[in-house]
Amino acid sequence: MSVLTRKLWRTIRNTKGQFLAVVAVVMVGICVYISMSTAYYNMSRSQELFYEETNFADYYFHVIRAPLQIIRQIEAIPGVSKVTGRIQKDVPVLKDDQQRATARLISYPLPMENEVNRLYLLSGRLFEKYPQSGGVEILTDPQYAKANGLSFNSIVNIVAEGKQVPLTVVGAATSPEFVIAMKDAATLLPDPKTFGIIMLPQNQAEQILNFSGQINQVVVSLAPGADEKRIAEQIKNILEPYGNLGSYPRKDQLSHNVLQSEINNLRTLSRFMPAIFLGVAAAIQFVMLGRMVKAQRVEIGVMKALGYDSRQLMLHYTGYSLSVAFLGALLGTLTGISLASVLSQTYTIYFNLPETIGGINSKAILYGFMISMAVSLIAGLTASRGVVAINPAESMRPEPPRGTGKIIIERWTWLWRRLDATWKMSLRSVCRKWGRFAVTLMGVIFAVGLLVLSIFSNDSVNFMINQHFYKEQHYDFLVRFGTPVKEYELLNLARLDGVIRTEPLFDIPVKLHFNGRSEDDVLQGLPSELTLKELTGENGKPLYLPEEGILISQRTASKLGARVGDAVEVETLLGLGPSRYADVKITGINSQLVGSGSYIALAQANRILQESRLVSGAMLKVEPGKTGLLEEELNNMTNVSAISSPRKELDNLNQNLDSMLYTITIMIIFAALLGFAIVYNSSVISFAERKRELASLRVLGFTNGEVSGLLLKEILLQSLLGVALGLPFGRFMTEWYVRAVSTDLFTMPMVFSFQTYLISALGGIAFILAGHLMVVKGVKKLDLVDVLKNRD
Amino acid sequence: MAKKVLMKLNQVTRNYVMGEVTVQALRETSLFIYEGELLVILGPSGSGKSTLLNIIGGMDLPSSGLLCFGEEDLSRAGDSKLTQFRRCELGFVFQHYNLIPDLTARENVELAADLVDKPLPTEEVLTEVGLETRMDHFPSQLSGGEQQRVAIARAAVKSPRLLLCDEPTGALDYQTGKLILSLLAKINRERNSTVVIVTHNTPISAMGHRVVRMSSGNIVEITENQSPVSPERIEW
Repeated sequence: MSVLTRKLWRTIRNTKGQFLAVVAVVMVGICVYISMSTAYYNMSRSQELFYEETNFADYYFHVIRAPLQIIRQIEAIPGVSKVTGRIQKDVPVLKDDQQRATARLISYPLPMENEVNRLYLLSGRLFEKYPQSGGVEILTDPQYAKANGLSFNSIVNIVAEGKQVPLTVVGAATSPEFVIAMKDAATLLPDPKTFGIIMLPQNQAEQILNFSGQINQVVVSLAPGADEKRIAEQIKNILEPYGNLGSYPRKDQLSHNVLQSEINNLRTLSRFMPAIFLGVAAAIQFVMLGRMVKAQRVEIGVMKALGYDSRQLMLHYTGYSLSVAFLGALLGTLTGISLASVLSQTYTIYFNLPETIGGINSKAILYGFMISMAVSLIAGLTASRGVVAINPAESMRPEPPRGTGKIIIERWTWLWRRLDATWKMSLRSVCRKWGRFAVTLMGVIFAVGLLVLSIFSNDSVNFMINQHFYKEQHYDFLVRFGTPVKEYELLNLARLDGVIRTEPLFDIPVKLHFNGRSEDDVLQGLPSELTLKELTGENGKPLYLPEEGILISQRTASKLGARVGDAVEVETLLGLGPSRYADVKITGINSQLVGSGSYIALAQANRILQESRLVSGAMLKVEPGKTGLLEEELNNMTNVSAISSPRKELDNLNQNLDSMLYTITIMIIFAALLGFAIVYNSSVISFAERKRELASLRVLGFTNGEVSGLLLKEILLQSLLGVALGLPFGRFMTEWYVRAVSTDLFTMPMVFSFQTYLISALGGIAFILAGHLMVVKGVKKLDLVDVLKNRD
Repeated sequence: MAKKVLMKLNQVTRNYVMGEVTVQALRETSLFIYEGELLVILGPSGSGKSTLLNIIGGMDLPSSGLLCFGEEDLSRAGDSKLTQFRRCELGFVFQHYNLIPDLTARENVELAADLVDKPLPTEEVLTEVGLETRMDHFPSQLSGGEQQRVAIARAAVKSPRLLLCDEPTGALDYQTGKLILSLLAKINRERNSTVVIVTHNTPISAMGHRVVRMSSGNIVEITENQSPVSPERIEW
């Protein structure tokens, strides 16, 4: 080992606290980088492979009923590479436990080769067209099978065309459309107990659903480079006569949208978190090494006098930061690999991605090391460039005094005169070392900002829950009927024991046209004396249902470019009778957080449909304690296709919040570590530089507490400002982050509670104090006799 | 007139254990320091004078023996008691001034003044040491002699009963050194503070009321000076 290496090793040992603190910051940066980018790589790669292998559709079209042959016509359009026609319908499931569930039946033509949206068998075997038993064979999604205890040969009873139909389970499968199986965008999370996917052969579906030779859905894959918009228009024209119910591209497909937003999230995090941590680590190292070079001025002079050149010495000091980088990257890689496997496990619970790309991403590890070393190399070389300027002869003399100009606060003489000497001392010391001040400030700002960002998601979800479950929904059950009924039939519901109030609703799938643009939406007709539901406008203000006019969903409004006062054309796509058209004025923008929908008065909805008093569902308010019995009664009603209960949805949601808390906790630990490391390092440096000064204060009669207090003042001056700026910065960073991960369907409400700021600020103060306390231990050990000794 | 004892050291020893070797830096030393006197402790380096100074100054404790300030026994005092002692009773002038670089002359003095209940007026003390025009300068803007004067002002502002000076002229040129010594003599004379000057510079002993000579950890001689010389007339 060369002498310089030995010296480096000893320097590391003598500064082990600081060394380890920076190593920890680098470690977190690399750990996050490796785990997130591995997860990102694995997820996006397996998404890609899975989509490719199953020929995931580029475009979806729903019609009421069309002959199967229509797909030939569509396939003839240039740019269309493959078209599959199929039947998709949501049907009620009669479960053994008397609970209601909804199954989405999807038919698959056999043989399946070359079709669009093929399924992928996970267990069991593929269904047969004509099984020997004479029954109907199905596959379900794995979550539904698991949640409902289904296995090979289990029977699932559904209600189709008014009849109970038993279906035989022969296995579990998934498909690119059900990587995450959610009923609609209004559902916050999948609830496999009450919603599942049932896959069955086309011929069986035709039979069960009375669709002989017909389909109601067309899924299309396009040739690479095809003009999606133009082709979609052509297909819509072809399907026009068959009741065009809606169409959307892949990016609006629910499962894809959720998966993609998670992947985007991983990508954003895998870039932005490491950038913060490695950046702060570099800044700390820059300050540390700069200070080390200054403190070892004489030694450097001696070494130069002995014949070492500047380059060798710079490399020596850079060696320190490279050691930090190497150890940090090594530990970060190890922790990153374990975190990556935890992440992958979590993702496999939520997403059905069979082509799981697991294992270690060696590219990420290589990049992790390279980034970490490069950052440290730059920090090291920049910080140690001071070596070059040291002249052996001059270095033996004391350094020229630093600037003595007035600091800015001194200009406010009124304030300055009232400060005691210790405050003046701290203020000047902080202001004169503005480079270090800036680094500490920046570190604390980032750490506190990250705390805000971490805790924010809790606020956001709480707000969403509160808004969705407590403010907007006052009913206990929402019942939907298989086919629309007359409003007076709701009396049957109102008469049930325990029902306090019944309010009708009418869901109408529509297409809204404005200024040459069209958007699919669901228009919900609601009674004008609405009490069981509250509508929320922009800025969270309540919206009132007009007798004439539409409360349009924010998403649709922005896509159409329509504003309040504009008139949109409503085209109904109910699937019963012909489409109707009406011009309706926008009277408000509905900006509910979960799901999206537009609202209209029930009476006006019926007028548009040229119907009278037709409803498709009802909201029920029930006496407390009677919900259980009532639910059983509802389950037994044949025309009821779906029952949803906000309370159950909330329970399901709460069970799934654990993983969020887990993430928040990790983020908080990381942020606190970052803050601690920076405060600790800058305190250690400030303490080391001023040992003599502080010891002479002790000789003058200052107590340990007063001397520590002096250091605390200094660190508080730097870091409290950091905390104060960190809070708005955290908000800014969160807004940026939410924008980066939002999709059309999902966005997090920007809600920041006072507690979030308070906890972040207190957290900030806590890590500042922790860093400070580690250092002030040294005050007690100050050698008072040392001050009397010679200075040089 | 009977002289009142301010500080009493009785059979004080101080040993330093360095690995397997025990170094006796101070051997059974006894010394009385009287109120109002100017005492010069003289000795070459290694004679134990710094150890003695540390013990008098409450920065170090004796390994054995008795150390009293007035009626107070400090021989086994804890850290907080020693801090209180330094804070209220002691003024300290260092060889290298040890001013706080981030505070002006005035603020350095205020820093010490804030520690006691009834300090002398800061500006008066600074004027007394001849720095009335330099009060708002930072240490780096002052010459060595001026810095030492600030240090003396900082020590004197507390009007301590005991002013300890460790080689106060050690880093200064001849003329400036004499000026500093005059100031110390003046404080002793006019404020009736006890002043202890530790030095290796023999001629300085001429200004003391008593002179303690040290060698190899022992007090070898204590002489009383019947006619102390004014520092202006000392030559070295």
